[in-house]
Amino acid sequence: MNRFLVATGALFLAMSGAAHAASAVNLDSEPRTLIVTEGGSKTELALAAGETVEFCSNGCFVTMPNGDREALTGAETVEISGGVARIK
Amino acid sequence: MFFSAVRRIGVTLFFLVAALLAQATAQDLGKAPAGVIADQQEVIASLASKVDALQKKVEENSEDDAGLVDIRLQLEELSRSLLQSAVAFRPRLNEINARLEQLGKPPAEGKPPEAAVVTSERENLTAEKAEINAVLGVAENLSIRIDKLTGQITEIRRHLFQNLLTKRYEINFALAFEVMQAFKAEMTDLYSTVSSWIRFVVSFKLKSMLAATFCALAAAAVIIIGGRRMFGRLFEADSRVEEPSYLSRLSVAFWSTLMQTSALVVFLGVTYFLFDYFAVLRGDIGSMLSSLFYVIAIVFFVSRLGMAVLSPKLPNWRLIPVESGAARWLMLLIIATAFFTGLDYFLSSVYQVLGSPVALTVGEALASTVIIGVLVVLIGLVKPFVDEDGRPKPWPRLIRYVLLTLGGVTIVAALLGYIGLARFVSQQIVVTGAILATMYIGFLSSQAINEEDAFIKTTVGRRIKRMFALDDTTLDQLGLVTSIVINLLVLVVGVPLILFQWGFQPGDMITWLYRIGTGFQIGSFNFSPAGILSGIVVFALGYFLTRWFQGWLDGSVMARGKVDAGVRNSIRVAVGYAGVALAGLIAISAAGIDLSNLALVAGALSLGIGFGLQNVVSNFVSGLILLAERPFKVGDWIVAGAVSGTVKKISVRATEIETFQRQSVILPNSELINSAVGNWTHRNKLGRVDIKVGVAYDSDVKRAYEIMLDIARSHPMVLKNPEPFVLFANFGPAALEFEIRFFLADLLGSNTVQNDIRFAVIDAFARAHIDIPSTARAHDTKPAEKWPADDEQVEAQVAEVEEARSKRAAEATAGRKPGKSKKPDPE
Repeated sequence: MNRFLVATGALFLAMSGAAHAASAVNLDSEPRTLIVTEGGSKTELALAAGETVEFCSNGCFVTMPNGDREALTGAETVEISGGVARIK
Repeated sequence: MFFSAVRRIGVTLFFLVAALLAQATAQDLGKAPAGVIADQQEVIASLASKVDALQKKVEENSEDDAGLVDIRLQLEELSRSLLQSAVAFRPRLNEINARLEQLGKPPAEGKPPEAAVVTSERENLTAEKAEINAVLGVAENLSIRIDKLTGQITEIRRHLFQNLLTKRYEINFALAFEVMQAFKAEMTDLYSTVSSWIRFVVSFKLKSMLAATFCALAAAAVIIIGGRRMFGRLFEADSRVEEPSYLSRLSVAFWSTLMQTSALVVFLGVTYFLFDYFAVLRGDIGSMLSSLFYVIAIVFFVSRLGMAVLSPKLPNWRLIPVESGAARWLMLLIIATAFFTGLDYFLSSVYQVLGSPVALTVGEALASTVIIGVLVVLIGLVKPFVDEDGRPKPWPRLIRYVLLTLGGVTIVAALLGYIGLARFVSQQIVVTGAILATMYIGFLSSQAINEEDAFIKTTVGRRIKRMFALDDTTLDQLGLVTSIVINLLVLVVGVPLILFQWGFQPGDMITWLYRIGTGFQIGSFNFSPAGILSGIVVFALGYFLTRWFQGWLDGSVMARGKVDAGVRNSIRVAVGYAGVALAGLIAISAAGIDLSNLALVAGALSLGIGFGLQNVVSNFVSGLILLAERPFKVGDWIVAGAVSGTVKKISVRATEIETFQRQSVILPNSELINSAVGNWTHRNKLGRVDIKVGVAYDSDVKRAYEIMLDIARSHPMVLKNPEPFVLFANFGPAALEFEIRFFLADLLGSNTVQNDIRFAVIDAFARAHIDIPSTARAHDTKPAEKWPADDEQVEAQVAEVEEARSKRAAEATAGRKPGKSKKPDPE
């Protein structure tokens, strides 16, 4: 019985692990704004100091605070420190 | 010889591979950085031109729903490749950023100037970055365009659907003649098309066509024979069975429908695919044939389903208890409905291929939808059941009204000229109705499995029982799980199928699922079912892991290490709580709930919690102290306040104590910590027992003393060291009071010893003529009364004495308590 449960659990984990969005972390002490183009519209994504936000589930274009542009497929982590964004 | 050859070949291979690798690396290095930009610019430009083409196509195809869906899929594909090409810049961008960081910012004014090389490199890099940004900007705009176009397609399709349902055609007698003529012309057309195709096939493609048909038949046979081998007689109604159980009827209905339909679908699918592959089909014939196959599959499925549910020939196997006559009649009506719907669908696709006049489509659809409407109304009017008096009874009211309304709407809509609406409704009646019926059977079967012991009686249940040697309770639980899984499966398969029928695209459904799965925001809290589900799963995993670790530690490590039972229990409990707490924490973070938010709430509430849960917290802490300090362990005989008994279980909030009357007392841990607790069996079970004995004043006291000491010494359970001792305690008012004091190794068995010694004392005193005085009858030497003068007075006195005696006897019986334990309790 336990083995069944464990197997189903592993299955669910694998399934839930497959669905992920990109996330952005603001490591600065002041709020930063990302401009996200997703689903045909541009939105400003404001990040308070130290905040982590999940966005961009199906891929998107992002304009970083320093004007750099990047394309995300939806599995990356964007770290903002000192106004500069790094993608991991 | 052989080995050297092998070695030589190996060395040659190695050099070959090395050379290839070196070439590849050289190519990588040699690739100019500007190449990425140029390449991707080209890719993006080509994507943009494709989008332009698609946009034109949208305008051209604004009447064709299937075409629009196709364009939408292409657009989604374009969007993905656009993103891919944009992502291709990332390595170069990272390189540039890293290099720029190394170079640092240009020196401020007044600072010494940097080398010219550095300045020029920085300028080059910045320029390249600007170029990449520009290209990415183009890509971004293109992606917006693609998304807008997708939205536009959705909008057009919605309008199309609305038009289809609300467009009205003029219906009059002139139409009838027009239709007749057009029908004749189109049938001639159809005949010539089909016959020319057959001639073409016979003269050029006969062999490949036969081969394709044979292959398809073989594939279908594999499914039928394989299914029969796997499930045996599971999906065949056996006429010899008198009363098949509900579950077996259901499984026969389900499996027979599924297996036969899937075999047919495989046959048709493989046939179509192979015909297409061998180029047997030509454009017009292909689309006609595919719609014909679709219709055959649907009609077959509906008729199989009706057959399975109604089972007109075998009344025992009927799922719905309808009358045999009604079952036959219903069967006929259902198949006719499916047939006419299919025919309508097929003919409409034929007309489309042949480019027939609209009048023909309208006329044919009018006829077939009216027929279908009438059939549905007839189904609603059938009286399939029998009431108590044997008279036919109609459908339940809800079903009847739904059927009559649907049929009525179809007929009225068709007659008013809303052909599109009528056709849509009639198709939905057949297809959605069939899917709903299948889903309903699935739900019913899951319910039937859910019944107690139903799963064990199924063939699958028996097989599992044999294979895994499970007991009945586990199998029953397995049945419960199976029923839940079947329910889920029915929903997962059925709901998308119905939505698909109603014009939703698989892409839409996946997007919804994804949205629901990844979560939605409520205020600042992100609620995500997938996260919560994974949290629950993680917690369950952690819980089972903890239990397993606990069991392993307790059963294998500590039992083998001869660890004291109390310590074992403490460690086990502590490990259990720590594991569950850890699993909870991990689960919360896996569920995506931010613990720092929680900490904030906890901080704000801690004051309130401190007051409100004071007792609980103090008990909890006391429990931890009890586990660490171990003033008593499970199995100890303790006295805490008024409670005395054996410790059964030490939990974190309370401790369970069982008194010797077998009453469970749940004592909060704080009481055990804050007040004195007596433990009879703390370090050992050794303890002293005192037995009081009274000896009459005129007895031989020395002799009595010796007798008592002797009795205590000679009992086998009494310890020799410390030695038993008889204390001359007091010159009591009625007797000389002695106490026999002796030690026992196990105080829990003291009652038997006490009994033994008391009996022995009485026996020995009787032999030695030593009296044990009793205060109740303390030698009252009243003078013997004279012969009574008054008879009545004597009678009253005798009655009084009798009464007192019976009272004493009653008290004695009431004082004795019933005990059922094998071993007497120590108290």
